Amino acid sequence: MNSSEVAGLWQSRFGIPEKAFAGYRFFRKAQSVWMISGSELPDLSYEALGMRIMNLKDRPWKPTTCALQILGKHATKNLVHLNDSQAMIFLEGKSLPIESNLEPGYVVVLYREEVLGCGLYSHGIVISQLPKERRTTSCS
Amino acid sequence: MERYRDIVPDFEAFKAVLHRPLFNCCRINTLKMERAKLLERLDEKGVGWKIFDWYPFGLKLDVESPGKLLENLLGYIHIQEELSMVPPLLLDPQPGEVVLDLCASPGSKTTQISQMMNNRGLVIANEPSLARLTPLRSNCERLGVLNVAITRYDGRNFPRGSFDRVLVDAPCSSEGRERRGPGILARSNRKRSLDLQKLQIGLLKNATRLAKPKGVVIYSTCTYAPEENELVVEKVLDDARLERISIPGLKDCPGITEWNGETMRDDLSNCARYYPHINDTGGFFVAKLIKN
Repeated sequence: MNSSEVAGLWQSRFGIPEKAFAGYRFFRKAQSVWMISGSELPDLSYEALGMRIMNLKDRPWKPTTCALQILGKHATKNLVHLNDSQAMIFLEGKSLPIESNLEPGYVVVLYREEVLGCGLYSHGIVISQLPKERRTTSCS
Repeated sequence: MERYRDIVPDFEAFKAVLHRPLFNCCRINTLKMERAKLLERLDEKGVGWKIFDWYPFGLKLDVESPGKLLENLLGYIHIQEELSMVPPLLLDPQPGEVVLDLCASPGSKTTQISQMMNNRGLVIANEPSLARLTPLRSNCERLGVLNVAITRYDGRNFPRGSFDRVLVDAPCSSEGRERRGPGILARSNRKRSLDLQKLQIGLLKNATRLAKPKGVVIYSTCTYAPEENELVVEKVLDDARLERISIPGLKDCPGITEWNGETMRDDLSNCARYYPHINDTGGFFVAKLIKN
């Protein structure tokens, strides 16, 4: 996949400018897209190339939490800002009622201007999409 | 352990410190968070910290479960032993270079290298074990690394390349981890070290082959056994020279040049040995080689 195809998808959902993707290379393997710094890759057999940033299997496509933590700071739309108690619930991997006029779909979840990760918004509820190993029950 | 009586300075103090647990330490991940901002956050939470005397991104933390800190889950810090931050510092990778980390999992050093390169250039993180790929990948993702590609070769047979820098943080008997897991030193013996030595020599020889002329190769272990340290490094000194190691703020002891009544090359004293009672850390060994 080329840079502008990838950037186009992130631009249309999150308003992330194309320049955030400049200087990287993108690879598609099965339904996942990977992003890696622009260096030439030596001729080797690879297990993984950079960071898995999105999954194209379902519609809409799904961003990974680790990619949102890097790219989400450039996002201008489909953002959800949480307060203290909401952030704790989100970090436990649970769902939150949110009053909002967001477009249904994946959203960038922020707390104190920092990206926590990916949420799924629909009908006034944000469902935490944090991977299990990034969740907490007794976070301090 | 008694067999180290003649090489460890102040052996009684060495034995005494092994019963004291280690501080929890972490590295500030500047790929995701500025150092000053991170320190402010810890202050806000009332988490005590002290910056290492020798490395501005390493912290001792006064907290029971540092892994549970939100800062860790979000990848702003990485829980890492103090001396584990030494090899990347000596490797000194530069943005834009191509670097090989031959024994990468769980990726503490890989991600530190990536941070030092500011996510530019390329780090090949090699890890033969399928089970150990999971923590390596997970740490790279959490820490926001974008310049690491993972391979899964036996490091002794990693096929090709011409790397600016190569790190061999070799599998070892881990005697230096006694303060984390009491009993390691008691179980350790020369026979086991000699078994590991074969693997370590194979790894270091291949690493030296894979480095560019004038390229840097760092060899490190967390063990005291000379069989796994100087006696491994000795095997590549026809193809590379040792550079003297000195890190301001961190006291080291020179590599040994005599063991079991046998004399070794003088230049092996350029290696560095770190003992737990000297800097109040774990134990560690490191050698810096410049390929011919």
